[in-house]
Amino acid sequence: MDSEDDMQDAWGGESDGNLSNENEEEDEEVSQSNEPDYGFDDFAADDDINPSSRLPQSNYTILSEADIRQRQDEAINTITNFLSVSKMEAGILLRHFKWSVSKVNDEWFADEESVRKCVGLTATRAENRRRSQTENLKCAICFEMHPLSRMKASPGCGHYFCETCWTGYIHTAINDGPGCLTLRCADPVCGSAIGEDMVLGLVVEEDRLKYKRYLLRSFVEDNRKAKWCPAPGCEYAVELGFVSGAGSYDVVCKCSHNFCWNCLEEAHRPVDCETVARWILKNSAESENMNWILANSKPCPKCKRPIEKNQGCMHITCTPPCKFEFCWLCLGAWTDHGERTGGFYACNRYEAAKQEGVYDEADRRRDMAKNSLERYTHYYERWATNESSRAKAFSDLIQMQAVHIEKLSDKQCQPVSQLKFVTEAWLQIVECRRVLKWTYAYGYYLPNHEHAKRHFFEYLQGEAEAGLERLHQCAEKDLQEFLEGDTWQNNFNDFRTKLAGLTSVTRTYFEKIVRALENGLQDVVQGQGAQGSHVAQGSRRR
Amino acid sequence: MSTSTPPQKTLSRIAANRLQKELSEWQINPPAGFKHKVTDNLQRWIIEVHGAPGTLYSGELYQLQVDFPENYPMEAPQVIFIQSPPLHPHIYSNGHICLDILYDSWSPAMTVSSICISILSMLSSATQKARPPDNDRYVRNCRNGRSPKETRWWFHDDKV
Ligand SMILES: [Zn+2]
Ligand SMILES: [Zn+2]
Ligand SMILES: [Zn+2]
Ligand SMILES: [Zn+2]
Ligand SMILES: [Zn+2]
Ligand SMILES: [Zn+2]
Repeated sequence: MDSEDDMQDAWGGESDGNLSNENEEEDEEVSQSNEPDYGFDDFAADDDINPSSRLPQSNYTILSEADIRQRQDEAINTITNFLSVSKMEAGILLRHFKWSVSKVNDEWFADEESVRKCVGLTATRAENRRRSQTENLKCAICFEMHPLSRMKASPGCGHYFCETCWTGYIHTAINDGPGCLTLRCADPVCGSAIGEDMVLGLVVEEDRLKYKRYLLRSFVEDNRKAKWCPAPGCEYAVELGFVSGAGSYDVVCKCSHNFCWNCLEEAHRPVDCETVARWILKNSAESENMNWILANSKPCPKCKRPIEKNQGCMHITCTPPCKFEFCWLCLGAWTDHGERTGGFYACNRYEAAKQEGVYDEADRRRDMAKNSLERYTHYYERWATNESSRAKAFSDLIQMQAVHIEKLSDKQCQPVSQLKFVTEAWLQIVECRRVLKWTYAYGYYLPNHEHAKRHFFEYLQGEAEAGLERLHQCAEKDLQEFLEGDTWQNNFNDFRTKLAGLTSVTRTYFEKIVRALENGLQDVVQGQGAQGSHVAQGSRRR
Repeated sequence: MSTSTPPQKTLSRIAANRLQKELSEWQINPPAGFKHKVTDNLQRWIIEVHGAPGTLYSGELYQLQVDFPENYPMEAPQVIFIQSPPLHPHIYSNGHICLDILYDSWSPAMTVSSICISILSMLSSATQKARPPDNDRYVRNCRNGRSPKETRWWFHDDKV
């Protein structure tokens, strides 16, 4: 077992929104206690000494509407001060240069005149002669004569149109979309910018709100460093600071949506955006073939009655009288799966299964297309199953927080504050299912001829899967006893120690696998060593 | 070729007023080379175009159809050539015209007269009589009577 630094390393350091961060004290309490062996072998345990192997952390900030307004104001104030321009002009410049204060500065001081011309802040006035307020002018839009008092000139250029026509002009632009933010004078050859002062001074409330909405949105939509959270209905934006090295772009929004800032797909560490895009494309191309896989029902391998999988973990027990226990993924007997026999989860290992003759010689002689579909099917099924397990675990987590924690607190006479370890465990399960899911896309694209890497990968994945399965079972099945039992049970503290311990080692292990895969399995040599030691240690597992 | 009325609401009061005044001004001072054919339909103008002397279109006669939207002049009119459109690198065989002021660069302070002057200048500066290179594909895509205002135009040429 590694030090607590590991946990910090794995989960600390990110800014807002990391749900798993809140409860470090309880973890410490557990990891300081005498730790039982939870079955993970350490691989490359030394690499924590080397600071360069620390996780690349993306530095990001979640922005609410109020935060966005504040940033806009700050940028506008800065430009107003540096360039001695009005706030309205600063806004026009910033929107043109995608809210980059330094870009506005650089361009302005390099060539103020051409910047002015480009954004429509020309200092030339249309007509400078003095007019009397009773003079009648013809509006070039409605073609009506109006006294000067009913006309309005754009402050930038001095072109007059009647107020009704200006209002109609601006209304049309606002209803055409965000282009209204770069609106120019209605005179066809003028090009002078119409700023927000003039717009907001003329339009009706509805247009006012729309325009202000576009102003707000432009900070995110025109800005290279900010993006909206893609979760439906979420109004937060995420601003990226820096990404160190080959950093991951995974961010967690305040709405709890976990996504990749770069490609906006759901969070996908340890695979990169390109692999995700390829995988998603592959899935849509194969989707017809894959429909059957998504079916949530399979026949029990023993009694052949259909089994509906309704729990998140892969350990299925058929309904009485059969009660056959089997693995949902490979439909093999659970007794063949690991702990008792000293082996480990074999169902993740397609190649191994093939060698063991599960895919017999006849299969090998089938044509390449069939073969590649079969290979894809193997990875896709495990990817999809982990995704539905993740979704199930997430709804279990919600249910846990809403109902079960309270119930557990009553039954076991524990204050709710002492039960955080349960939510912690579920948060960890959700995260692990997500990582595990993406390791199957990783595995699919890992070249077949790189045998050493492939073996190492399958070993890591197998360990991860086994460890997560233990955690998931403990959080799901063991917890059930304490929820259903009628009275206070004195082994509750043992349960706490076990679940918190499993959570902690699983977290550490998954951080390691993520790092190893992100490093392109560079540690493959060490990995082979680890695999060897694994075989030797296997028999002493519970 | 489609000369059917685009699905359009009748002119607003402001639009009708402005068009009435624009027509009166046209009648007093029409742009050189253009003739408005009198009809009782204020919302659709048919305009004769005479190719300018000394250009590739000298002595030729074409017809423009101008349809005005409900909220003219805030929105641009739809302008197309009808019958046989001139052979020109920016004029498609279905009469659609690739000219920025008819779409993105429209301003409500522009007029039919200013459109006509731009179109004549576009014709006069042509150095060869030819259809746009993508004519066939474009015309095929417009077959369901699509308005040129629904096209995402790409204004690439500021010489012709
Ligand atoms: Zn007016
Ligand atoms: Zn102007
Ligand atoms: Zn969100
Ligand atoms: Zn991505
Ligand atoms: Zn059964
Ligand atoms: Zn299995």
